[in-house]
Amino acid sequence: MQKRRIWGFFAAPGMVWLGLFFVIAFYAVISVGLGNVDTLYQPIPHWNPIDWNVGYLIQAIESVIPGGQNWDVVVRTAIYIFSAIAISLAIGYPVAYYASRHAGRWRGLVVVLLILPFWISYIMRMFAWTNLLAPDGYGSKVLSALHIDSLLSSIGLLDGTDWLGGQGVTVVIALVYGYVPFLILPLFASLDRIDQRVIEAARDLGAPPASSFWRVILPMSKPGILAGLVLVALPMAGDYYTQTLMSGSPSTSMIGNVINDYIQGGPDKSLGSAMTILLSAVLLLFMLYYLRTLRREQGEVAA
Amino acid sequence: MAHGRNRVLSPAPKDPEAGLSRRSLFARTGAAALGASTLAGLAGCENTTTPVAADGGSSNGPGLLGDPTAGGPVDSAGIPLARRDYPVTLPRFQKAVSASAKPETGGVLKVYNYADYLNPDVLKAFGKQEGVEVKVTTFDNLDEAFSKLSNAGLEFDVIFTTPDQLSKLVGRKLLQPLNPELVPNLQKNIWDAMHSPFYDVESRYTVPYVVYTTGLGWRNDKITLDPASLTNGWDALWSATSQRGKVQVLDDKREALGMSMLHQGQPNINTGSQALVDGALAGLELLSQRVRPKVEISAYETLPAGRINLAQMWSGDILSGAINYLPKGTPASVLSYWYQSDGGPAFNDCIGVAAAAQKPVIAHRFLNYLMEPKVAYDNFVGYVGYQPPQKTLNAAKLFSDGILPKSLSNAVVTERAYAASNGYLTLTAEGEQIWEKAWAKFRAG
Repeated sequence: MQKRRIWGFFAAPGMVWLGLFFVIAFYAVISVGLGNVDTLYQPIPHWNPIDWNVGYLIQAIESVIPGGQNWDVVVRTAIYIFSAIAISLAIGYPVAYYASRHAGRWRGLVVVLLILPFWISYIMRMFAWTNLLAPDGYGSKVLSALHIDSLLSSIGLLDGTDWLGGQGVTVVIALVYGYVPFLILPLFASLDRIDQRVIEAARDLGAPPASSFWRVILPMSKPGILAGLVLVALPMAGDYYTQTLMSGSPSTSMIGNVINDYIQGGPDKSLGSAMTILLSAVLLLFMLYYLRTLRREQGEVAA
Repeated sequence: MAHGRNRVLSPAPKDPEAGLSRRSLFARTGAAALGASTLAGLAGCENTTTPVAADGGSSNGPGLLGDPTAGGPVDSAGIPLARRDYPVTLPRFQKAVSASAKPETGGVLKVYNYADYLNPDVLKAFGKQEGVEVKVTTFDNLDEAFSKLSNAGLEFDVIFTTPDQLSKLVGRKLLQPLNPELVPNLQKNIWDAMHSPFYDVESRYTVPYVVYTTGLGWRNDKITLDPASLTNGWDALWSATSQRGKVQVLDDKREALGMSMLHQGQPNINTGSQALVDGALAGLELLSQRVRPKVEISAYETLPAGRINLAQMWSGDILSGAINYLPKGTPASVLSYWYQSDGGPAFNDCIGVAAAAQKPVIAHRFLNYLMEPKVAYDNFVGYVGYQPPQKTLNAAKLFSDGILPKSLSNAVVTERAYAASNGYLTLTAEGEQIWEKAWAKFRAG
């Protein structure tokens, strides 16, 4: 009993913090999205749930279904996120695997190198890319020397050779670059936790390396993969500044940009808030799927 | 085009918006905002998005100037739309500060402005002279500024704004009337045309800050362009297919959609007509297909830096780019500028004193200070790049003397060009929504 009270005491500041900066803030978003506007189109939040007004939410839903004004953006965002997490996984898994199982005495260094990008803010790292990928930047020169730009434009992924000229592929690359460490770290932790003896047992029982990977390591790292994918996909879904910095063209707008435009740019804050509620609801569904899978996996392990 | 414009801009009785009361206006707007079918389904539980009046049922009574239907169309604050041939005298809700009031001493003078829009040296000098610290808080765009002033209750002493936003600020009682005796430099130093401007007759609330035109800026070392030789100069932007991805359009719904209207030869850039705004949107979508422009306001930095080659920009931005943002070794002569001299946008920004000002006298003195010829000059040439409408400033001479780059000499705004100009002015509440929706559609790609 005594013990429990002490832990409650330790958790209290964190709970207060979350209460202030997440729950109340999100309730304010809901109250604006389900509120009304005054005669100058400034939002009037409806704090009391009895007064909630679904007009803007319906408008938001109508805009994101096929045929709606933002349908193209929804599809584009889904394609960008799906491509970005697929590439992130393809890059991140081997790195995490190497770091956890084969890095040996370099392990600590590899982990530090993975965390290193966080020493510099996300925005600064993106700004660095805008210089690297500028027409006379080192990055575009290297990519041009390797004929990567002409390769991509020949398969229609790049329009011309100007990486910063409103290219979807640049946005995807930037998203991968910005978020891939978030995928590697949980993956690393999960691979690291796999009992070496289980793998040895697979080998002892005659499984060739490829087979022991497919049938033992990969399934056992699934919670790590899922956690990593969730960790990168959720912020990507709300990201707008990557697109703004790397492209800035409406032809690559993501759903985060649309919400940002509604809220920052004009008198449609209520609609922007309603879109935020909608986006959060969709992300919550993914989150629930992740939690359910996780519980099932843990159940299997326990059994 | 210039002589025909007044006719188009006039709020003549045949205007479809005329004769609408505010109340029916709002009802219509709300209904338009939500599909009619949805509205019917929700009517029972009052779940509609019809805007409601916030300030004590003012939508039921007459507008802020008495009967709003008497003078033709009104804006979302209930104030008639100011036009060159329909000047508006804004109502005073409180007394101006007395001319004999003592200047407040010490503390902070709080200024609300765009970023990089005041020379820090000028601020320092004023602070020293008056014994206050001048602190500038910045906003990205005027919608954000209005929203924060009106909802978040941010309190400032001095507010920078534009004429089309003015009636909203006054309607929300966010500005206080000026005492003309405390801003004598307005009469003394500023162009005569701006002493009692049509958007603020008697200069009750504002003094002008800087003047600008909106045009095209480009890197003449990277592309060959001569908009002046075209029948419609804006076509240079629409036909710049070789510059795909290296083109920029202003992130400003009025400027971008308005440019598309001018490109289509439609000079009424203050229309509230759905068909005309839709036409402008189609024009921007065509532009997007052809040259895939970025939509940003950073051309003053990206054009000199060479990241883009052609941009819709303000005259002050290309000068500020030349003054502050050219990389070492790049001469200012690589920048060129064009604007539509007959009926293109040319207007001014303005400054007022906040209703909530803690230092109203110092705020007046700040306004007056910015209209000192020497101060205005330092602010212009030393930093901001936007030209002050000073009687004694021979801006053209600054270019010929080489103080400002000769190649940009047509970024000068002459008194005559200003007088004959087209400007973005206040829209009706309904018109504003039409522009807003078209813009959101464009931004979503």
